[in-house]
Amino acid sequence: MNDRRIDDLVSEAKSLRYSRRQVMRRATALGLSVPVVSAALTASAYAAPGEVRKFAKAPAQLEGTKINVLGASYFVPAGQERFDAQLKEWGDQNGVEVSVDYVAWPDLQAKIGASIQAQSGPDIVQLWDPWPYLYQENLVDVNDIAGPLGEAAGGFYDWVVKTASVDGSWHSIPYGTSSSAYVYRPSYFQQVGAETFPDTWEELFTVGKALKEMGKPLGQALGHSLGDPPSFTYAYMWAYGAMEVEEDGTTVAFNKPEFVDGMGTFIQGWKDAFDETGLAWDDSANNTAYLSDQLSATLNGSSIYLKAMGPEADGGVPEIAADTNHADFPQGPAGRFTNIGAQSWGITTYSDNIDGAKSFLEYWYSTDQLTSWYEANGGYYIPAAPNYTSLAVYTEDPKLAPYLNLVNYGRNKGYAGPSDDSAALSYSKYIVIDTFAKAVQDGDAQGAIEWGADQLERIYGD
Amino acid sequence: MNIVGENRWWQRLLYFYLPLGIFVVLLLFPFYWMLVVSLKPNKELLDQSMNPFILLHPTLRHYRYLFQETVFTTWMKNTIIVTVGATTVALACSIFIGYALGRFKFRGGNVMGAAIFIAYLVPPTLLFIPLAQVVSKFGLYNRYWALILTYPTFLIPFASWLLMGYFQTISHELEDAALVDGASRLQAMRQIILPLAMPGILSAGIFCFTLGWNEFLYALVFMGTGNMKTVPVGVVSDLIKADVYFWGPLMAAGILGSVPVAIAYSFFVDNYVSGLTAGATKG
Amino acid sequence: MEGVSALSCPESSETTWTLDIGYWADLKGSRMALAQTTKATEQGDLQIARGRRSLLQRDGVLAWLFMIPGWTVLVLFMGYPFFLGIWLSLTDKMLGFSQYDYIGLQNYRDLWADSIFQQTLRNTAYYGVGTVPFKLLFGLGLALLLNRQFRFSRFFRAGLLLPWIVPTALSSLAWLMLFSSVLSPISLVLRQWGLIDQNINFLGDAWNARISLCIANIWRGVPFFAISILAGLQAVPTELVEAAALDGASRWDRFRAVIFPVIKPIVLITTLFSIIWTISDFQLVYVLTKGGPANETHVLGTYAYQIGMNATQIGQAAAISLYMFPALALGAILLLRSVRGGDTQ
Repeated sequence: MNDRRIDDLVSEAKSLRYSRRQVMRRATALGLSVPVVSAALTASAYAAPGEVRKFAKAPAQLEGTKINVLGASYFVPAGQERFDAQLKEWGDQNGVEVSVDYVAWPDLQAKIGASIQAQSGPDIVQLWDPWPYLYQENLVDVNDIAGPLGEAAGGFYDWVVKTASVDGSWHSIPYGTSSSAYVYRPSYFQQVGAETFPDTWEELFTVGKALKEMGKPLGQALGHSLGDPPSFTYAYMWAYGAMEVEEDGTTVAFNKPEFVDGMGTFIQGWKDAFDETGLAWDDSANNTAYLSDQLSATLNGSSIYLKAMGPEADGGVPEIAADTNHADFPQGPAGRFTNIGAQSWGITTYSDNIDGAKSFLEYWYSTDQLTSWYEANGGYYIPAAPNYTSLAVYTEDPKLAPYLNLVNYGRNKGYAGPSDDSAALSYSKYIVIDTFAKAVQDGDAQGAIEWGADQLERIYGD
Repeated sequence: MNIVGENRWWQRLLYFYLPLGIFVVLLLFPFYWMLVVSLKPNKELLDQSMNPFILLHPTLRHYRYLFQETVFTTWMKNTIIVTVGATTVALACSIFIGYALGRFKFRGGNVMGAAIFIAYLVPPTLLFIPLAQVVSKFGLYNRYWALILTYPTFLIPFASWLLMGYFQTISHELEDAALVDGASRLQAMRQIILPLAMPGILSAGIFCFTLGWNEFLYALVFMGTGNMKTVPVGVVSDLIKADVYFWGPLMAAGILGSVPVAIAYSFFVDNYVSGLTAGATKG
Repeated sequence: MEGVSALSCPESSETTWTLDIGYWADLKGSRMALAQTTKATEQGDLQIARGRRSLLQRDGVLAWLFMIPGWTVLVLFMGYPFFLGIWLSLTDKMLGFSQYDYIGLQNYRDLWADSIFQQTLRNTAYYGVGTVPFKLLFGLGLALLLNRQFRFSRFFRAGLLLPWIVPTALSSLAWLMLFSSVLSPISLVLRQWGLIDQNINFLGDAWNARISLCIANIWRGVPFFAISILAGLQAVPTELVEAAALDGASRWDRFRAVIFPVIKPIVLITTLFSIIWTISDFQLVYVLTKGGPANETHVLGTYAYQIGMNATQIGQAAAISLYMFPALALGAILLLRSVRGGDTQ
């Protein structure tokens, strides 16, 4: 497959100083395989603009420099304290003045965006999927750290590689993610005759109907919110055989008859089994509803459970914690899926202390430090590589097992295409979520899916 | 002003106290809710069995949390510095613009007046991105000056308009007398017109102060690092943790962030109104 | 000259031109009287201003000099971003990528054909129509009430300003609770009273959500209208109103014939400001619905933010924010004209 056209494209990219994204666009336009071009480009040692900065391995003199870190506010206070302590400890050891800022996570992208435009701001930024792709030109190449790190930990999971790297090249170092599983009340399920959590979506809706009649419906956010609504809608879409786009990244595969059927089932299920005000919920609403005993089950991170177990003065609810368990996502005709994307730390290219930032990340990702951080978070973050899954924090409470199990059936946003700008646009426009919202509002599965397909066509099909 | 023919008690009740009461209830209702939440123990907040508007066991816990677990006083200090600074800059600029537009007849005056209005039409939600570049070029990133100099962009238009109207109402005679006596335009302005315009300036100042006090996006993006957060930014960043809202402290911060200002306003409000009056009745 | 003679400060003597600032309080009292003499003296003023003044003293020159500080701030911190915004809207710029192309009006054409954007424009219109008239109406009503002297009127005036004073970032969170379909105390109380059996779906239904947003927006906006109109009302000559009342003019007639003409300029200007603020509103919608469900509450601000910040397509986002600019600018100019025109007659 060593096409002359690939060589031509590589030299074209070199002479015109294409960014990686432009190369990929050209490759697609010319009908070439994106991964092959990418590999050829890397082999030719071409560094696209923004990727040029390579640094000597030996740490420079860090004494007296500064490091500023930007991340999202932690749900688990102990985790945030642990991170602060690690940063401070490293700063003291190296004589570096360190600081860290946390913002509410929906505000994170505004801060990163403004910093990139201004070319000044934090040295190290927290990245969620698919941001490493979006900001790749402004993130320092960290293949030299991430590569060995992944290998040492048993190799990064496939979903991590797909969502945190750019075509296999690391611009940030992944550490895992917080993700969703079904949080449910076993006693309520038993009352309606379900000894275990249902294994298929249809069974869940059937059981849910009885639960709703009992006054404890299922809860699911379907509003504009970037956390909970995608976990459900993407999972359900895939379970019924539809995808945003085929592997080529341009052929929309959304309007599938199986999916229309599945959507019909869901429209009925929504009425029968769910709290229908979910159309307005944001990421916090299901937590509140569950903790105030209004729901029998909802999809969420482990924050509900961990909060319920906490001290009562901080909102802990011991009786609900005792009667809470977690379950895998149900499956549909096409299988069991969930949306999963890695979070990572990246270094900004405009930083005037890239060496310091690298040095800190090397320290933070060292086995001991990363382990202590996973432990401080009480199992809230699932790790990016398998070797950490044997930590006691993941095994001692069997109720949390489904969260770790996610890694076995997770897919990236924009699947089967790459986690790129189109996937980000589709996600930010809430296309998949709104397809579901429209369907339950209008009761028209076919119409909603056609609307979604048309929107996806605009995004992917250019 | 006492409208004639409303001296019977039922007329006063029907035309005055009743509607006023309705306004008070409707406008202060969300505020009352903030107050209740800020004093409610977490357990009661989720309690479905009691009337949510009633406080059974009021607690100052959330206020304590705010002062002990966050750097609320620092946020407050930042907010005050930024707001006072931005108000000063905006007022200084607006006084000159308002004076020129209100008291000079000059070629292009109308165009300038309209242009200032148009500046208001530029939506800040997006333009903070290019603006970030400007802020960084001037080396203002994460300094008080970043906000002190950017807030005036949305304060100057209204303040200039208000002061323009005010300056128009001040007699030219005094100034003329001063000019005849050999005072320069600037002297006359400083010594005669500005003191007379004080109520108008105060009104414009209050307006600027309020808008600056409330701003969120610029404060988040241009400052918002380390100990440089303003109250809204600090509160939202530190009290919304992933998918969990710390309702009590959030609402406590809302109360603490607004009640002192409201009390201060109660002393100025009549000045504010009378200051607006002049500006208000002139275009 | 009655205005000047009413002053008890020493400006009539030739030497003492330095007015102590402390005098402003005394001067304030005579302001209204002064205002009435303004028109009469305008011609005299012009004669003085002309001729023997140095360059710095000339109105035209001084006026432009006076513009400099304000315009420096505006041009530096608004002009550049604004023109950059216009330029970006004509490109396919993505935030994180240095390479981008000029694509003419493609973004605008794409938006025109985009059903989400059409929905956004409609929502923005609903939002404006559903709030501004009510803010005006309630603001006017409240102003008429507050215009009287009664016990503690000062505290009422300040207290009723609260919705405008509370930082929107926090008051919108209070509304988020009130409108929450889970936590709403309104739903809870109504359920306890047995009036409803399910929580009210405030934000989960298209029209409910729009109405809820309008309510929160009206709540925040009424005080500003009220206080501005209240200011206008103070200029209404009390004697005239009373005279009209004695002549048997009805409440409505009094308002229409005597009061409204005086407050018309501020009503128009406040409305204009409010329209601008409402159309460019962001925070309230962002906190309450982020444009959901199914884009039924998206306004220009939230849609632009999503495309620009989350999807990082800032070229497209700039086009969204600037879409309404020409219409708004034209509307603003026309309205300003009418206000000004009425004033100079």
